[in-house]
Amino acid sequence: MSWFAGLLIGLQEIREHKFRSFLTMLGVILGVASLLAMFGLTAGIASSWRTTMQQMGGLERIGVIDAEVSLELADLAALSPGRTLADAEALRASSRFISHVSPEMQTGATLSATDGATITGRITGAWPDNLVVSQHEVQSGRFITPLDVERGSRVVVLGSTAARDLWPSEPEADRVGRTITINGRPFTVAGILVHYQREEDRQRNLRRGSTSPGSQRGGSVSLAGGRGMGGARRDPFQWKNNSIIVPLTTFYHEFRSGTEDAAPLAMAKIDQLNFRVRDLSHFREALDEASSVLRQAHRGIDDYGFDTREDWFDRMETSLRATQLSGGLIAGVSLLVGGIGIANIMLASIAQRVRELGVRLAVGARRRDIFLQILAESTVIGVLGGFLGLGAGVLLLKLLGAIAPMDNPPVVELSAILISVGFATVVGVLSGLYPAWRASNLDPISALRYE
Amino acid sequence: MAVVELSGVHKIYGTGPDPVAALDGVDLRIDAGEYVAITGTSGSGKSTLMHIVGCLDTPTSGSVMIAGEDISSARTDRLARLRNRSIGFVFQSFNLLPRLDVQKNIELPLVYSGVTARDRRNRAREAAEKVNLTTRLTHRPSELSGGQCQRVAIARALVNDPALILADEPTGNLDSTNGAEVLRLFDELHASGRTIVLVTHDPAVAARAGRRVELRDGRVIRDGRT
Ligand SMILES: Nc1ncnc2c1ncn2[C@@H]1O[C@H](COP(=O)(O)OP(=O)(O)OP(=O)(O)O)[C@@H](O)[C@H]1O
Ligand SMILES: [Mg+2]
Repeated sequence: MSWFAGLLIGLQEIREHKFRSFLTMLGVILGVASLLAMFGLTAGIASSWRTTMQQMGGLERIGVIDAEVSLELADLAALSPGRTLADAEALRASSRFISHVSPEMQTGATLSATDGATITGRITGAWPDNLVVSQHEVQSGRFITPLDVERGSRVVVLGSTAARDLWPSEPEADRVGRTITINGRPFTVAGILVHYQREEDRQRNLRRGSTSPGSQRGGSVSLAGGRGMGGARRDPFQWKNNSIIVPLTTFYHEFRSGTEDAAPLAMAKIDQLNFRVRDLSHFREALDEASSVLRQAHRGIDDYGFDTREDWFDRMETSLRATQLSGGLIAGVSLLVGGIGIANIMLASIAQRVRELGVRLAVGARRRDIFLQILAESTVIGVLGGFLGLGAGVLLLKLLGAIAPMDNPPVVELSAILISVGFATVVGVLSGLYPAWRASNLDPISALRYE
Repeated sequence: MAVVELSGVHKIYGTGPDPVAALDGVDLRIDAGEYVAITGTSGSGKSTLMHIVGCLDTPTSGSVMIAGEDISSARTDRLARLRNRSIGFVFQSFNLLPRLDVQKNIELPLVYSGVTARDRRNRAREAAEKVNLTTRLTHRPSELSGGQCQRVAIARALVNDPALILADEPTGNLDSTNGAEVLRLFDELHASGRTIVLVTHDPAVAARAGRRVELRDGRVIRDGRT
């Protein structure tokens, strides 16, 4: 007899005893459902984290930050010019492992559009490399160009939210080429950035049929409505959508020079300095390269450090793994219980079917045929339980989402489905082994006599 | 040609202080095409003998040849194969599977001899024709009379075209009309050349067979033409 014939007999057996089979499967169903829910939740968190991280420049982005000067150099600390534009120029000049360098100066400012509204926001003076380092994408118009920086052009690139806030009455209009004033000085809008949002928000908004960035954002806010003040859902891209970017030189001339102790441009302090690693496989080398460049620029004073996403990434992975482990443990226990349940019911059902097995033996079934028949039956129970568990898991995730909307909607990946059903199958097979062995050792005569 | 050849067969039940010798030195030879009735009082060892001849059980000692093959030391898989291909067993209590329909019950031996589903269907139908049950193929045993059940069991015993058909009191659970019908089937099978061994209490039944073997206390006390 083939496996297939065994499977058919198993299916028949299950069809004959639907309710009993369902009860038998319950443990497996719960186990698979919790396994799938656990995978779904952690995958959801992981995928949100990854997109957020990608939008913030990915692992390749490294920030230069201030650091405590070491004790032996403390007296000399004043010798270091600190983080200046010269650092950025030096990093850009040494470009073996560093592909892009983005210095930034920032200040609060008041913006107003003559044909629109007046808003306040943070404006950033940047280089063209900022486009790559901050992972910006231009929706219309263009980004800051080298020529803008060279000439100190009065152009500005606006994030989608900033643009919408400036002209709230015309959400769909193309604002490129319009003029606004920043702290009273006229600037031309050179470009508008795309509206950044998480993948799941984007899809949700697409389903709602809204297209403009403005109404998209409105949609996402109203969706979270009722949760906390103003329904402000944590949006990792809020800061990016509020970008107001002007050429660094323009920034310096318009908003920096003369205001403070007017250092020349090259020695001007910069608020942020980020660069991008050319190739992640040379991450360490890039850090070493940047370190030696900066040591020279800072005259040997170690008043700088690096902010890498690596630690962040590691922490994220560790906490994800911890969540997976605990979820997996719960799922494992219910699968174990499910397996014991299957074994138990199989033993009971064999006891009920001793005569049937005796008849099968009498007409020529071999031990291994009986073994396969019982094993196939328990496997079918396991697999069916697995599939029902998948359904239950998806329902569970939907239910969780309905009672407690999540910042990181769960993601059901194919691998999670395969692993869950795979576990259920393994449980079905394992729990059938002992009953199958018992059944296959029946002696035909005593089986036929059995009452 | 001998289909069954037993010599010095013993079957001892229990290893304790008072073991029961269900068979106590049986010599028996049955040739192809014979119709043999086994008789004897209750407990004389008829069923034990049938089980050993039917490869459902093995003797404690002695040699058993079935269709030319010594089975006294055969492995369980070999015995299963003989039960499947060479022997058709009809029980007093029918032993049909209650949750399979007639068709599937008749097919059962074929499932274990690797016959394809379509061949199984055809051969089961042929066997059903031989026992006049073609109209009941989709019924379950619980929907049949005792006589019909026993005819299904006979069809199942026939379906693999075995060298030997064994029946242990096949009419024991039937009324006389149904019993007669079943016996008529055995007569037909014998007439078509099959080897039949049948256990019975009924002298009239024994009289229909060509040869009668009588057991007492596990020994053959009479063996001759009727
Ligand atoms: N499994 C067993 N364990 C112990 N003793 C047994 C077993 N099977 C049969 N016997 C004994 O062997 C002897 C022969 O039994 P068997 O069933 O062969 O008798 P029988 O001739 O078929 O009787 P009946 O006409 O009542 O069916 C009996 O004494 C019985 O008690
Ligand atoms: Mg008997």
